[in-house]
Amino acid sequence: MGYEGVPGLVETREAFGETTLVVDPAWLLEACVHLRDEAGFNVLSDITPTDYLGWGERGVAGYIGTPSGRDINAPGSQGDSRRPTTKPKRFSVSYHLLKLDGDPRRVRVQVWLDDGQPVPSVVRIWPTADWHEREAWDMMGIPVEGHPNLSRILMEDDWEGHPLRKDYPLGGEPVRFSGEE
Amino acid sequence: MALDKTIDPSRRSSRPLAKAGLQSERLLWPTKGPGVFEQEVENLEDALGLTTLEKAVAWAQTNSMWPDTFGLACCAIEMMSIVSSRYDIARFGMERFSSSPRQADLLIVSGRVVHKMAAPLRQVYDQMLEPKWVIAMGACASSGGMFNNYTVLQGVDKIVPVDIHVPGCPPRPEALMEGIVRLHEKVMAGVPPAYEIREVAS
Amino acid sequence: MATVQRRPQVYSGTRIPEPIPSVLHAPEELRRSGDLLTVNFGPNHPSTHGVLRLVVDLNGEHVVGIGAVVGYLHTGFEKTMEHKTWWKCITYPARIDYVSFQYNELVFVLAVEKLLELEVPRKATWMRMALCELVRIHSHLVYLGTSALEIGAISMFWYCFRERELVLDLFELVAGARMHTRYFQTGGLAEDIPVGFYGEARRFCERMPKALDDYEAILDDNTIWRQRTVGIGLLSAADAIALGQSGPVLRASGVDWDLRKREPYLAYDQVEFEVPVYHGGDVYDRYRVRMEEMRESTRIVAQCIERLEEMQGEPWIADDRKVVLPPREELHTSMESLIHHFKIVTEGYRVPEGEVYVTVESPRGESGCYVVSDGGPKPWRVKFRAPSFVALEATATCMRDAAVADLVAIVGSLDGVMGEVDR
Repeated sequence: MGYEGVPGLVETREAFGETTLVVDPAWLLEACVHLRDEAGFNVLSDITPTDYLGWGERGVAGYIGTPSGRDINAPGSQGDSRRPTTKPKRFSVSYHLLKLDGDPRRVRVQVWLDDGQPVPSVVRIWPTADWHEREAWDMMGIPVEGHPNLSRILMEDDWEGHPLRKDYPLGGEPVRFSGEE
Repeated sequence: MALDKTIDPSRRSSRPLAKAGLQSERLLWPTKGPGVFEQEVENLEDALGLTTLEKAVAWAQTNSMWPDTFGLACCAIEMMSIVSSRYDIARFGMERFSSSPRQADLLIVSGRVVHKMAAPLRQVYDQMLEPKWVIAMGACASSGGMFNNYTVLQGVDKIVPVDIHVPGCPPRPEALMEGIVRLHEKVMAGVPPAYEIREVAS
Repeated sequence: MATVQRRPQVYSGTRIPEPIPSVLHAPEELRRSGDLLTVNFGPNHPSTHGVLRLVVDLNGEHVVGIGAVVGYLHTGFEKTMEHKTWWKCITYPARIDYVSFQYNELVFVLAVEKLLELEVPRKATWMRMALCELVRIHSHLVYLGTSALEIGAISMFWYCFRERELVLDLFELVAGARMHTRYFQTGGLAEDIPVGFYGEARRFCERMPKALDDYEAILDDNTIWRQRTVGIGLLSAADAIALGQSGPVLRASGVDWDLRKREPYLAYDQVEFEVPVYHGGDVYDRYRVRMEEMRESTRIVAQCIERLEEMQGEPWIADDRKVVLPPREELHTSMESLIHHFKIVTEGYRVPEGEVYVTVESPRGESGCYVVSDGGPKPWRVKFRAPSFVALEATATCMRDAAVADLVAIVGSLDGVMGEVDR
């Protein structure tokens, strides 16, 4: 199925048998309406925000478990000589769509955002996005424009900070062992 | 009984606890003396010197200790299975899980307690009438379990005083029942509930 | 949608509330008249679904407003898993949906294997399928026991939990633990299948349909059960699809959609089973769907056992030493095995860079796992798509024209597990 007609399409990626359509956030609503009505993706399965702060600062190489990476004599596979591909912006929001039909298909629509840049709400298109977008706001601090009820859902209402961000600490307490002072 | 024959008579105690569940340890290990728990409970019983009336009250309390339905997560499923017919908690008089904390004696905190749930937990505990006991069931309730992060309370004894911690993830129904039996033994020995002993969180 | 148009809709139009799809607001006049009673079905309540809080506006016995508050079990799984190596991560997903624990492990392990492009031996695939179907039976038994208990058919609880103990006995036989077995590894299974499993599983498969017959005899034509469940909590197919429902809720609304048939994973395309679809969209049909699913799961388990018996002696985990621990006997003789063991246990194996989204058909619906890897030993981002999260969004739509007594039945039929909702 060709996705060339999707408005605002920036890039199409195919990997691991999955198609990712990178879309400009300003065109997200038109793209989603097009995918729902023209292409038939009637189910929104999931909305996942991801924070890429600190991506690529650690080199990755060596003991990689892929068919290509298992040859430790291949050039460039040792040491920190490989870095993961750079990401365009800090946050990505992935919308996983499903065409619930005799011929099922899945696609991922991805938008890239800076810190504080809002994303339009797709609640009018798929009502199930309601809680997913609230969670994206609560956990990652991605403001959703046009959401009828953008409030914290998993954390308390007066919680400060967005826990799933990479600069938010894991928290917890140091473990005390019995017998210690 | 046939079981008595394998146990070294000089080691056999006549106290109730020694006849109850922990006897199984000595079936496997005939020369084992009383365990630490048994020893301490027996010492406490001697030290406290309960009157017959107090013993009768303790007996009544243990034989019909109603738990509160405070199932949070995975441990709740194992707590439900002690109500089932295989692990039958009705033989201890505890099958009546009371949803109203006002009518409950025992709060079995089963599952991870997160920050948001801490306030309702304390409210439920406060609504219970004394005497009341708390069992922290599972690793998450005892100490935060495998979760050491911004949201899970590292042990429910930070907000409520706990009598018995039951380890496991989730503890087998038999493990929870051993915890309950030990609680009964503590109460029969005259040990006061945790809110009278512990200084924290009472 | 062909399936939807063939049958009449359970109601015309859409009943999804506006403007917020997951909150039902009482009408203005009613609110101003002062006749409304706001009741809090707080996080601690006798319904055994866990810590769900419903704020309900009642006009007499009728529910005119409802909103769900979740987050009372938010454990921070996703953040914690970002700090653990891939191997240690597998312990966590089982606790997310703690009633169908094997499915979360499965979806995470499948996602990691997809990124690794690792081939799993067929013995592991078939055993995974058998265990997952056993967990489906376990989950539906817990659903049936607790939902019936809440509606008032109290004795069902003991019957269902009796069979549930048999399922847990099988798990204990195989993996040593009743729940949260952590038996799945990246590449296959943690250990070989023990000897007594096939006989015990066969005995279970013979016993289960008779137990299901008993349950159906108690509930199916029971007048009280039917009055409490038929026509309650209606959800049309179009609304269900718009609300992203999946699993038994979707199939009870008339949509023939099961990931095991439509997007087969593991070896589901090699076993015979039916997918029950009912068209009433009410609590009764959801109950019927889950009962039939239990029967079909027993069929699948029986077929898996037969295939597995032919595979005795085959490897149960992939052979790739960069990802899978070497067998312990080799550690005494082979230096390379020792090094591999050391590296995998301390640093962890590295999963190549990429992002995948894998879905499976859990007892609650479409359970998905979105994994982003940066090529390192720890995940960069893990997100679990929880079907209960989405099912609770449908509460407001199902709760139209409901009375207080129906509230319990409807929430039970949506079968939400709060560990999954809050993660």
